[in-house]
Amino acid sequence: MSVKRLIWAATALAGGLAFTAPAMAQAQNSLTIVREVDSDRYDPHRSTARAASEVLFMLADTLVSLDHDMTSIKPGLAESWTVSPDGKVYTFKLRQDVKFCDGKAMTAEDVVYSIKRWINPETRSPVRWRAGPVEDIVAKDAYTVEYRLTAPFSELLYQLTQSFAVVIDKANVDALGADFGVRGFNGTGPYCWVDWRPRNDMRMRRHDAYRWGPPIYENRGPAHIQEIVWRIVPEENTRLAAVLTGQSQATQYVPYSGMAQIRANRNLRIVDNQAAFWTYFIGFKVDKAGVDEEAVRRAIVMAVDQEAISRDINFGETEPAYSYIHQAATDWNKAIDQRLIRTNVTEANRILDAAGWVRGADGFRSKNGQRLSPLAYGFTGSTWQKLMETVQGDLRKIGVDLRIQLFDATVAWGKLATQEFDMFGMSFPYITAGDALNLYFRSTNAPTPNRMNWKNPDTDRWLQTGMTAVSDAERAQNYGQVLEQVHEAAVWIPLYHEPMKVAATARLAPFKAHNIYGCGFYKGLDLRFTR
Amino acid sequence: MTAVTASPAAAPAPDAPAPRRFPALRRLFRDKLAIAAAFILILLIAAAILAPWLAPNDPYLTNTRLRMLPPVWEARGRWQFLLGTDGLGRCMLSRLLYGLQATMLMGVIATAIGGSIGIVLGLISAFYRRLDGLIMHMSDILLSFPAILLGLAFAAVVGPGMTAVVVSLAIATIPTVVRVTRASALVVMGQDFIEAGRSIGLTDGTLLVRYLALNCISSVFVYLTLRFGQVILLGSALSFLGLGAQPPIAELGTMASAGRNELFLAPHISVIPSLVIVVLVLCANLLGDALRDMLDPRLRHG
Repeated sequence: MSVKRLIWAATALAGGLAFTAPAMAQAQNSLTIVREVDSDRYDPHRSTARAASEVLFMLADTLVSLDHDMTSIKPGLAESWTVSPDGKVYTFKLRQDVKFCDGKAMTAEDVVYSIKRWINPETRSPVRWRAGPVEDIVAKDAYTVEYRLTAPFSELLYQLTQSFAVVIDKANVDALGADFGVRGFNGTGPYCWVDWRPRNDMRMRRHDAYRWGPPIYENRGPAHIQEIVWRIVPEENTRLAAVLTGQSQATQYVPYSGMAQIRANRNLRIVDNQAAFWTYFIGFKVDKAGVDEEAVRRAIVMAVDQEAISRDINFGETEPAYSYIHQAATDWNKAIDQRLIRTNVTEANRILDAAGWVRGADGFRSKNGQRLSPLAYGFTGSTWQKLMETVQGDLRKIGVDLRIQLFDATVAWGKLATQEFDMFGMSFPYITAGDALNLYFRSTNAPTPNRMNWKNPDTDRWLQTGMTAVSDAERAQNYGQVLEQVHEAAVWIPLYHEPMKVAATARLAPFKAHNIYGCGFYKGLDLRFTR
Repeated sequence: MTAVTASPAAAPAPDAPAPRRFPALRRLFRDKLAIAAAFILILLIAAAILAPWLAPNDPYLTNTRLRMLPPVWEARGRWQFLLGTDGLGRCMLSRLLYGLQATMLMGVIATAIGGSIGIVLGLISAFYRRLDGLIMHMSDILLSFPAILLGLAFAAVVGPGMTAVVVSLAIATIPTVVRVTRASALVVMGQDFIEAGRSIGLTDGTLLVRYLALNCISSVFVYLTLRFGQVILLGSALSFLGLGAQPPIAELGTMASAGRNELFLAPHISVIPSLVIVVLVLCANLLGDALRDMLDPRLRHG
């Protein structure tokens, strides 16, 4: 009897193992990425969130791609392109082997449709300007696209690498209507849409026919990993726990406080990209009482200890910022390197004293009965809470009473479009100086995204000249002038540049982290489990 | 005439002990738990009032180099910061004292405002019966909104801050106080002395304040003591959600929330203010319970 039982038990065990073994092999072909927030939809023209971009880069492709160095433009769906001498006509030669997830071949018509939908006022894309001053987009033949501009647009190729410029399928957009990017998405990317449960998870499976990956990857396609699941975990400690326990095999959203733990863990590693083209800053509304004085703004910028923020608050994982964009970004003006405002509390106090702001009994300054107590708006969540409170603490030291109001992301964007506040906290991705400056400093972009109400004819003129420049030198010179002007006027408090740091299991083969629009995985073609 | 003579049953038995003054208080003093709760509560109130003198450091002075220092009894602890420092290097003990002040003030103000309005409405509802339906329906409507929801709505309208929290907690307090007041006022309204008062021509105001209000205030007061604990808890919850005190103001709920992200590295930042909230609410509830037992005639001779 007992022998019989033993045999039964052994058989059951063997059976169990037989079942679990393939399951384990299967598990290694599925990658779970945890992240903080979800996008409201995955329509490339209507979603500007990083959460949308990181998914869209995998679901779809762009005409040109961006290398890991964040400056070199490489082929994408277009295998080659030419620019006319006047800089107004870009001709793209498309690959002929590209197919959508539903098997349909991609042609020039799809490219034309996608870009035209992007710039169509009816689409109401908040990032329409990124497509440049388009005159027309024409399909010369099935695999040639002519991109005609009314004026040169030196940023164009960089902008065409972004997720807003992905190629979509007209039939799919028409069929889904308002549900496009909500219930489905037909792209040409290395992964295909499977299922999206908002604020829960997004599932995508491998596009088996994919062979047209950008040359920045060793693997041009198809992707190694069968399935990718993007899971939303809002709480940062829970995300850290998910990585430590192996529930998530890769993520760029681990808190800085957990980096040391991850580095110390033999089963995990950090993959980084030092092109830290994502900058955190606090901007001033330059026309609001108090902060309309340049001296006040300069003193406030000087009081903030950027080094302490990076070293202590961010556990040494970020780079202190004194410039509004990273100094390695294209078109940074090296001439102002030495003139950037550095932390100096004594000097800040002296500036305010000289400007007539007198400390009261409570230690805070006022002038002509007006208290120096700017109101700052920002986002709730651990990052901005800590940053704002740190800056608040720094400003106390110079007698500035910073008031803080933080809002949930659902409310914050609306609040940040008002004129109620004096200062605001924000962070943004960029590729070049022009990318950042044209977004934030054009007078036509007030009140948002030019929340500083920075309106200066010189700025506008230089930005326009830079944007339409046909030579690199001319572009750099004009953008350089804007950089110098706004840094001198102290319109932002730069806080830190954030490098890309992906925490990944050591079971993943070595790969490079990207930083395009702050998305660490980009197309994810080289992601591969070794065991 | 017989009505005014004491009935023989109500007369003290010959062998009963001589009546003492404040029998209720004596009963309270026999309840050791209640005494302990009252003692701790008094200590906390004193600490809150004396916060500016007791706090060893500036509660707002940040120093990121000293961030997340553990309490003094741990290896890395420093005597300068008895309870350690928070995520920005501010003294936890100082912030705790100021936080206690803010939290208690929030609780007292919200309970006082909500309680006063509730008592007035409850008395009116019991006294003027034709207004009863209207007032009770209104309070039923208010009762259907959870305090947290009210707080969220107010914060959305007037912006987050202590005002929004106090207002929403006060409003959330009103309906239950109305009910409690009305219930005890209705009992008093049935008593002969109200009828007698009316018959000798006392004004409504005199009857309401001197006879009705004073006769049911004790039970409402007990309820408010219990409510104080709940208000603190709700207020801390709202602050935890970021709707209450805005930085750098120290408030227990906000402090508990701020330490949440450092729970792995420095649990004391969250745990200490949370413990204080627990103690505060527990003491208020224990004292409220004891007061209720004390004033409850059914338990009086138990």
